[in-house]
Amino acid sequence: MATVLIENLTKIYPPTITYPHRVQALGGVNMSVTGNVFVAVLGPSGSGKTTLLNIVAGVETPTSGSVRAVHNGVPAQVGYVFQEPRLLPWRTVLNNMLYVQDRKSDRSRREAEFYLTMVGLNEVAHLYPSQLSAGMQQRVGIARAFLVNPDLLLMDEPFSHMDALTGRSLREYLQRVWLHTRKTALFVTHDVSEAVELADRILMLRPGGVVFDDIPIDLPRPRNPDDPAVRSVERDVLRRFDSMEAAVRFGAHAQ
Amino acid sequence: MTDVANRAPAQPGPNDPTVFASGFQEVAALPVGDLSPAADRSYSAPRRVLRRPWVVQLIALLILLAVWQYLTVAGDRVPSIENVVSFMWTEITGGSHGGMLLGEFWGALGLSLQRYAIGLAIGIPAGAVLGLLIGASGWVRGLLNDTTLVLLALPAVVWAFLASLWFGLTSTAPIVAVVLTAIPFVAINLSSGVRGIDAALVEMSRSYKVSRRNQIADLLLGGTLPNALTGVRLAFTTGWNSLLIVEWFGATDGVGWRARFWYDALRYEGFVGWVFLFVILITVLDRLVLRRLERRAFQWNQKPTLSFAEDWGM
Ligand SMILES: Nc1ncnc2c1ncn2[C@@H]1O[C@H](COP(=O)(O)OP(=O)(O)OP(=O)(O)O)[C@@H](O)[C@H]1O
Ligand SMILES: [Mg+2]
Repeated sequence: MATVLIENLTKIYPPTITYPHRVQALGGVNMSVTGNVFVAVLGPSGSGKTTLLNIVAGVETPTSGSVRAVHNGVPAQVGYVFQEPRLLPWRTVLNNMLYVQDRKSDRSRREAEFYLTMVGLNEVAHLYPSQLSAGMQQRVGIARAFLVNPDLLLMDEPFSHMDALTGRSLREYLQRVWLHTRKTALFVTHDVSEAVELADRILMLRPGGVVFDDIPIDLPRPRNPDDPAVRSVERDVLRRFDSMEAAVRFGAHAQ
Repeated sequence: MTDVANRAPAQPGPNDPTVFASGFQEVAALPVGDLSPAADRSYSAPRRVLRRPWVVQLIALLILLAVWQYLTVAGDRVPSIENVVSFMWTEITGGSHGGMLLGEFWGALGLSLQRYAIGLAIGIPAGAVLGLLIGASGWVRGLLNDTTLVLLALPAVVWAFLASLWFGLTSTAPIVAVVLTAIPFVAINLSSGVRGIDAALVEMSRSYKVSRRNQIADLLLGGTLPNALTGVRLAFTTGWNSLLIVEWFGATDGVGWRARFWYDALRYEGFVGWVFLFVILITVLDRLVLRRLERRAFQWNQKPTLSFAEDWGM
């Protein structure tokens, strides 16, 4: 369980040769997440979601502002499911799992196999990533994130590469696993129904990287996406999302 | 916080599979695809035989021998196949080439192979260390990258001459020549391998705080193994070349010297025979050892060989 504290976080990418303008990916994000909560970060493409997770994970540096992700006063161990699988192509599935563990003991091998079984991939543990479908590779990425017993789970649209059916059962599964582990989770998505199905709280990002809305989702778990109560919250969130889009477009016209 | 959120989390572990029992079954049943190998494409029986690698190589060899035979008949400068074979037989068995001149083979071969092995055993690890440093450190790259490129561009014959100049008619000269030829080939290939490692994987490793040991073993060495092997393969072939050149010009023993001995004695069947042996040796080494190693190192990336002609049904 981790605490994530973000204050006035901005990220501006400098101009590049191909695009000679500064890009503001995040424009002053404030948020605090603590405890056993599942937070969805919802925003359209280009709103800085990946940038936000990268900064929290420590793989990118902020332009200004502060970010802290701690667990019992020390930097939180992160389990990061990236937008793409990010597996070592030259290592088997099992060895990709063992890569993130400090020691390659029998015990860590059993743990790795356990989490592979969890995502239904124990049979392919000895294949190489190139021999798996994109969805299967992403499932390895999910198993890897749980394997490190993370204090903080970061997930960047982990299901966006999968067919709807696989995505659906994995979402359901993620929900179950999460209910047992209750790791603090930041889950990035641009899919409103996914956010409502999984999250206790939805942070809506608008283009330019500013938190537009912070919506608590008080629905009992486990949630079924077909449940009318879930559907109705989903419609509500979608309306707010539309009003954000309208605000953004109106703002653009006004300038 | 809600009541649910305050409940102490149950920690599932690998020894506690019941925790996930319900969901586990469902997800485990997700399709993983057909793992059986796909059927080969079909050709008629004679064409299939013609496509076997050893048949193709046999054809190539026969063509070579035919061209050789033709050249023997057409001009008088090329020794015939029979002459070369019988000469080399005398050489290998230590028989008489006429008078007191006896065949000599195993001693020369053993000596040259020993120099070759020592040279590679020094040059390849040295090149590997240099390559990893150039690839991993911007500072070392600035210092040594251009130098290494220059060394790479120098032909083996330059090393051979320099080594004989420095060390004279000793065993040191050929060894040094092999070392100096091997180093830049391994170094350049390995350093470009290190630089080619996907930054996304480096980010992933950083976010998971992957141990230094694993990063070196799995990311750095694992990711550059194919490049390293390409470099090693080149070091083997060019190292052999420069060994032969040093022995030709600056030694009194070894296989290169022996080839020159027959050349100077105007016994061209001996010269051609030795040259053939050099080629056979390096080809066998490349086929049987290096290419297999390379294929193993690349097995994670097995792509079907692309052949336009086969696509077009030829
Ligand atoms: N390395 C980079 N260099 C320059 N600009 C960048 C870089 N990474 C992201 N950006 C820019 O920052 C903005 C936010 O990008 P980011 O990837 O965080 O968006 P996102 O919300 O994750 O989008 P998506 O849903 O498409 O993944 C975009 O305008 C993008 O072009
Ligand atoms: Mg993104």
